[in-house]
Amino acid sequence: MASREIAQYPSSTRRVLSVATIIFIAFYLLWTLLPFLIMFLSSFKDLLDAFQLPAPGDWGGVSLLFTFEPTTKHFENLFVDLNFGTYLGNSLIASLGSAAVSVVLGSFAAYALSRFDFRGKNDLFFWIISTRMAPVVAVLVPLYAIFRSLDLIGTLPGLILAYTTFNLPFAIWILKGFFDNVPYAVEEAAMCDGATRLQALRMILPLVAPGIGAFLVLCVLFGWNDYLFASIIGSGGAKTLPPATIGLVQPQNIQWGSIMAAGVVTTVPMLFLGLLIRRYLVAGLTMGAVRE
Amino acid sequence: MVAVNIQSVWKYYGKTVAVKDLNLLCRENSFLAILGPSGCGKSSTLRMLAGLEHISAGDIFFGEQRVNMLPPKDRDIAMVFENYALYPHKTVFENMANPLRLRGVDKAEIDRRVKAAAAMLQIDALLDRKPMQLSGGQKQRTAIGRAIVREPKVFLFDEPIAHLDAKLRAHMRGELKHLQRRLETTTIYVTHDQLEAMSMADNIAVMHEGVLQQFGTPSEIYNHPANEWVAGFVGEPPMNFLNCRLELTSEGVVAVHPACRIRLNDAQRRILEEKQAEPDVKLGIRPDNIAYRAGANSGLDIPATVFVTENLGGDMIVEVTLGDDRLTIKTKIGPIANLDDPCTIAFDVSRIHLFSTTTGVAYF
Ligand SMILES: Nc1ncnc2c1ncn2[C@@H]1O[C@H](COP(=O)(O)OP(=O)(O)O)[C@@H](O)[C@H]1O
Ligand SMILES: [Mg+2]
Repeated sequence: MASREIAQYPSSTRRVLSVATIIFIAFYLLWTLLPFLIMFLSSFKDLLDAFQLPAPGDWGGVSLLFTFEPTTKHFENLFVDLNFGTYLGNSLIASLGSAAVSVVLGSFAAYALSRFDFRGKNDLFFWIISTRMAPVVAVLVPLYAIFRSLDLIGTLPGLILAYTTFNLPFAIWILKGFFDNVPYAVEEAAMCDGATRLQALRMILPLVAPGIGAFLVLCVLFGWNDYLFASIIGSGGAKTLPPATIGLVQPQNIQWGSIMAAGVVTTVPMLFLGLLIRRYLVAGLTMGAVRE
Repeated sequence: MVAVNIQSVWKYYGKTVAVKDLNLLCRENSFLAILGPSGCGKSSTLRMLAGLEHISAGDIFFGEQRVNMLPPKDRDIAMVFENYALYPHKTVFENMANPLRLRGVDKAEIDRRVKAAAAMLQIDALLDRKPMQLSGGQKQRTAIGRAIVREPKVFLFDEPIAHLDAKLRAHMRGELKHLQRRLETTTIYVTHDQLEAMSMADNIAVMHEGVLQQFGTPSEIYNHPANEWVAGFVGEPPMNFLNCRLELTSEGVVAVHPACRIRLNDAQRRILEEKQAEPDVKLGIRPDNIAYRAGANSGLDIPATVFVTENLGGDMIVEVTLGDDRLTIKTKIGPIANLDDPCTIAFDVSRIHLFSTTTGVAYF
């Protein structure tokens, strides 16, 4: 793509395609956003209101979804009676902590792998990614044994470490690609300009920032949405939101309202994270640095 | 300012030898051009001078100081990269200001120097653009600007104007040379373009396949090429070569070619005797040193036939066939000859070069 100004010429296929695209996007949005809307609305509804559903095919009955007396009692239940504040905090610390550790260590490792040649580099690189090839459940048992002997079960550092074992190899693998895309000549120019090696690295950081930002979100999401590690390694002292939400399903009493509210509590922070990070996710920054 | 002294420097990339036992001296405040075809090790040499490339063997001195182990920032150099290497996320102004900022120059001074350099490079209207919005030539000028805002000990230029159009290139040759004369900064300038080297440099180092072929002033390189390779590389159109055999006759030493006999002068004869030349030689003569007249029996010594004529405006290039060889002749414009027209030519004997066929080394 040489220019931002791409010439487009009208044709009948293009018109049909653009209408089809709009229809597809409309359906797709409905499909993906409706569950969230219902979850959000239900979390503010009394149980009776929540089960007021229109009959299939009764389009007029859709208004039923929106007629209710808003109540915050489910949220009160979560935070006052059920300790969800702590779980929310645990979730935040575990996922952000692991993401930060993975991205910082991963960036340095990826930079080194991208810029330096040393013996066994390819083998090392392959070994790093091969640690991600086994499914999570396969390593869970040995990991549990190791963590127990280190007294890390049920602690936040333990959970952060567990997530990092999984995020870090992935971080190195992905971030190396981002560093590879930045021509080394840019750093060389910086060093000739009078920068130290580290200053030169800082100089190119803005160029990999979109990659790092995007990957940070992926790492946070991995920890945030994880259930398996959280329920086994975090059980007890480091309970996070997913296991806590499952805890609301009891044999005699499924607390639908609170489950919906817990869903909202789990979704909203990630929504904000996405908005916050969005402006850093600008691709194509490296274009024009060197003559190809 | 400092002298730059390269002593027995080698550069290996794995098994590839890029630079072989290079010895070069760039005197204080002088302008040295490293000239050679692509892949001959020019950039490798420059990058070792900058400190970007490990020196496989040998030493580099800036003045008295051995710089082998000095990182680029401590060498006080400014380099222009072959591929620009601009900061893509910074504007032209910020790109050029960067070396000054890193050295803590104050803001007003940065502003002044960047604007002065931009004006000289004719990019003052582009200071707010990012590299992506620039043409190749504009990027290259930005890269030059980034180097010349400072007054370093040594300028290192790696084909800095290779991608400009012809007119701008001519302009930049003058500007860069003027700048170097005014600042009196030791400058090492890498190029594959002999015109740049000839017109700008105090000294030229000609390289071929990692080996230094000749070091000398532009006129030495042009008038006294050290070997057949340099003779063929420098000069446009390139030098003509004829395989000849030397014969000692009553008239003196004669270079015999199947289609002509050329009597050498006494000075040349003495040199050949001194150097004990072998009888088989390669005779070289530049296109400007052959006289040409159209028509059979037009008065010059050697009869030949026209292969093609090219009109250059004021001059013309005539290619003629002489036996099995073809010669290029550059002469004042005259009537354009047809293919296979007869003509006569004559060699300016004092401008002839002879090279050994076995080693390629010049006898004279
Ligand atoms: N980083 C490198 N790795 C391996 N070989 C290289 C590298 N850089 C240059 N070379 C080789 O070294 C030789 C000289 O290259 P270079 O110094 O770039 O030549 P020039 O600048 O005169 O075109 C070439 O044969 C090139 O292929
Ligand atoms: Mg080069």
